[in-house]
Amino acid sequence: MRAARTAYPLKWRIMDALEGIAAAIWPARFRRATPYLMLLPAVLLVGLLVLGLIQIADASLRTLDTTTFQFSDDYSIANFRRALTEPLFLVVAQRSLVAALIVTAVTLVFAFPYAYLMVRTRSPRLRKFLLIALFLPFFIGQVVRAYGWLIILGNQGMVNEALGLIGVAPMRLIYNYPAVLFGLVQYMLPFAVLMLAPALTAIPEELEAAAGSLGANWVRTFIHVVLPLARPGFIGAGVVVLTLSLTDFAVPAILGGGSQDFIANAIYDQFFRTSDQGLGATLALMLVALGSILVGLVFALFGAGTLAMGRSRA
Amino acid sequence: MKRFKPTLSHLSRRTFLQATAALGGASALGLRSSYAQEPEKPAEIIVRAWGGSWVDSLKAGVSDSFTKMTGIAVRHDLTEDNEIQPKVWAAVAQNRVPPIHINWDTTTNATKSALRGVTEDLSDLPNLANVTDLAKPAGLEGFPIVNTYGYVYVLAYRPAAFPDGPPKSWKDLLDPKFKGRLAFYNDGIGFHFPAQVAGGGKLEDIPGNMQPAWDFITKMKTQQPLLGEDPDFTTWFQNGEIDAACTISTNAREARKNGVKIEWVVPEEGAKFDTDGLWIPKGLPENELYWAKQYINHALTKEAQQVWLDGLGLPGVVPGLTPPKDLVGDPSYPTTEADFQRLIRISSKIQVENESEWFSKFKAIMQG
Amino acid sequence: MQEPFRAGASREAEGGREIAVTVRNVGMDFDGIHAVKNASFDLPKGRFLTILGPSGSGKTTLLRMIAGFQTPSSGEIFINGEAVSAVPPHKRSIGMVFQRLALFPHMTAAENVAFPLKMRRRDARTIPERVERYLALVRLGGYGGRRIHELSGGQQQRVAIARALVFEPDLLLLDEPLAALDRKLREEMQLEFRRIQRELGVTTINVTHDQREALVVSDDIVVMDQGEIQQKARPIHTYRQPRNAFVANFIGVTNFIAGTVRSVSEGGDVSILRGALTLAGKIGDPVNPPAEGGKASGAIRAEQIRLAGDAAQLSKLDCVLAGTVIDTIFEGERMVYEVACAAIGDEVIRVFDHDPAAHKQFDIGESVFLGWNARDMLVFR
Repeated sequence: MRAARTAYPLKWRIMDALEGIAAAIWPARFRRATPYLMLLPAVLLVGLLVLGLIQIADASLRTLDTTTFQFSDDYSIANFRRALTEPLFLVVAQRSLVAALIVTAVTLVFAFPYAYLMVRTRSPRLRKFLLIALFLPFFIGQVVRAYGWLIILGNQGMVNEALGLIGVAPMRLIYNYPAVLFGLVQYMLPFAVLMLAPALTAIPEELEAAAGSLGANWVRTFIHVVLPLARPGFIGAGVVVLTLSLTDFAVPAILGGGSQDFIANAIYDQFFRTSDQGLGATLALMLVALGSILVGLVFALFGAGTLAMGRSRA
Repeated sequence: MKRFKPTLSHLSRRTFLQATAALGGASALGLRSSYAQEPEKPAEIIVRAWGGSWVDSLKAGVSDSFTKMTGIAVRHDLTEDNEIQPKVWAAVAQNRVPPIHINWDTTTNATKSALRGVTEDLSDLPNLANVTDLAKPAGLEGFPIVNTYGYVYVLAYRPAAFPDGPPKSWKDLLDPKFKGRLAFYNDGIGFHFPAQVAGGGKLEDIPGNMQPAWDFITKMKTQQPLLGEDPDFTTWFQNGEIDAACTISTNAREARKNGVKIEWVVPEEGAKFDTDGLWIPKGLPENELYWAKQYINHALTKEAQQVWLDGLGLPGVVPGLTPPKDLVGDPSYPTTEADFQRLIRISSKIQVENESEWFSKFKAIMQG
Repeated sequence: MQEPFRAGASREAEGGREIAVTVRNVGMDFDGIHAVKNASFDLPKGRFLTILGPSGSGKTTLLRMIAGFQTPSSGEIFINGEAVSAVPPHKRSIGMVFQRLALFPHMTAAENVAFPLKMRRRDARTIPERVERYLALVRLGGYGGRRIHELSGGQQQRVAIARALVFEPDLLLLDEPLAALDRKLREEMQLEFRRIQRELGVTTINVTHDQREALVVSDDIVVMDQGEIQQKARPIHTYRQPRNAFVANFIGVTNFIAGTVRSVSEGGDVSILRGALTLAGKIGDPVNPPAEGGKASGAIRAEQIRLAGDAAQLSKLDCVLAGTVIDTIFEGERMVYEVACAAIGDEVIRVFDHDPAAHKQFDIGESVFLGWNARDMLVFR
């Protein structure tokens, strides 16, 4: 008897009981509906998002009357006209777009060697260190990190103090466009590394050895073998970094010194500073459109990368 | 608007006791008898407030004594003012009971709500008989809002950066040595009107012709100023990032309390004066509306104002308040007619109707 | 008959043929573990050498050192007489076919084959013709435009071979490329390797754990175990004259009977005692012969044992034992009998019958007699 009991451990008994309960709640004949049941929460969330978008679209067509602070009952495209003609919004949109492109390019360049080393190193200790260094910023959060840069790069910050030691007068290192780009790159790096790493892991190390034995030095191996095969990772990482940068709020707000607004900051202003939800909704829709067009363009030009639907072919 | 929080260190136990004692007397003599037929008391009323010492001052000066007097608990909702606004608007539009009883708000923001018609009229508060003109929202019918104190957007500066004496004019900030060393609010609030004067324009032309203001702000843009919100100014002064700023005196005073050498002036062109106030959203049950009004009425007593505004370091709306020691005769704490002569006050109605445009205009210049 | 084992390398050996690869006293340590110990051999030009051993024997490490992916901890490797320890892989003239082929999935078959030519900056105008020629060599003419994933496993093998050979390397290395194939395809590709190697005459080193493959394809076999070279010999010698018990056991099916050495003669005859039984055999390893009175074991191949129901039928054989059939395994081309012999403590002897149709069949439990010739039993200490 005792032998039988050890042969059928407690864990299995608990699983049996749970399966029994599950079968009572959700009988086997419902099984064909199970995948749909699993899908339900996601569908609900997406549905809510769509509802929100519809509301935003509705709001974007109504104009604010500042004598009553009520929105018009009838629809007009006045908000869209304002958004497309007022120089402020064009400046802000252009700044966001250019920043997103620069940040994406720079982040990918920096993320690649990091991801490559993390995936390929033979030292488990180095890999662990790189992983921790990568994840630590995630726990710290974007806003705190941005304030950290204020402390480090400020007039009386560590960098300026160090410069002072070699006789350089304090410099304004923050509250400008490069500071925003710097903050964004630093923020995006872990995302890019995490998107690149699986793509690099999927490249058999043997391929690089093969390229070497076939006469390619490491530069040519990188260009002809690693880079083309890592493309799905680059596309996935690029799309994530591009959209996150384009829509970022906190970094331009904190590191920009107020004069480096991105589209998201302009939207916040409309919603919460001037109470013009109509114009805010318009800008939000245009941001969604801009982001979608960019992502669509990337997918059209380079394919969907690691974000591809369906099974990849060997 | 994000608020920096002055400390309550100067709010001594003695002044507090004085205030509550006086209140007790006042309620015993007047209030209780005048409201013999009181409606049913709610268990609590909810007041939206700014956090930290702002809410501490309000609690010490108004809420605690109100609870003592009426037995009604006061809960402080610390949702940001600009974020509660859409919620209240939505509740009124849908005929729901609003999420708060009283909103402590900037007069400009409150006026938007008044124009939208979501505020209760407060004209029948008994204590309005004793207040100065400041309590009345300019350009609005009746009392949809009651202003409770004023504040000044001063020119705050580091004396070390002005060896030849304090700046006399906003134009002094155009000196090239201040390039990158100035700060304004990121929507330019507080600076539009003095800029109109400094640019050679007239205040009467607001809002019709503000070109002088935009010209002056365009010149100021070449100085590459920092743009921020209330807490930023204190931080920037403390970290030595800026030499001068157009900001509410409270922020400069906060940096001074933290040991930074900061002075402030009202330049010859003047400085913008504005107010904060209290208001009640529409849609409350009758009895709750009654007690919310009693709360605001109580906030207008001299005793409540004295304790509350000592905490904030700002001038109140009842006569005879004693200014904090460090602010006696200070331009940011106007008390006399002469003091007010030097300040610029534009009606809230004009402000809210044009604010959006001014903000965009300022942003377009600064972001360009 | 057997080649003398040489530790040193000479420029001229094997009837004057030039030496392509010399491995001299090469060792490799990983964290204090000796993956390869003091390995030495010469490989003349144009020959096909197989390094055969179980997993963990150090055969792949040795190959990777020759390819240049690892640097020996000690010793030196010479290719065409030049020491190559300091030469990176891409500067060695070595074509390699990898275990998992390592074909570039983002390129077509032709692009894969063209890759080494491009990397070696060969004249671009000659590349297409050359690629086509090598695809034809591996019987893939016309398949150049296919993507790698559109090719069958065997076709992929052929692309990998063409890619490794197209730039006419001095040396071809095969790192167990056939291990993952099914048996039929594997045997087909083994012959294909041999054909191509003979056609081009390229010096080749192949690594495998498959003794059959080693016997089929190689001119020479190096058997490795636990980082050490056990034997280097031609396939037939490796099979017939294994140098030690490991080689005898690893290649083919061999029965071992342990005993005590009773006598050793000048001519190489040995007899060992096992209980009441005396077994006659030959010295297996002349370098390390068994000593009288010492322990030794006799090794006899399963196919060299005859089986009969009657001892009289085995009268011509030197050694006859009685036993009982305990299992019969039909493998198609042969029948395998497992026979327990009382004389050696019921130890099991395996016997092959390669022509079951012509011989009497035995059932489990039947009493049988086994017999073999003394010259077929090799005695190792």
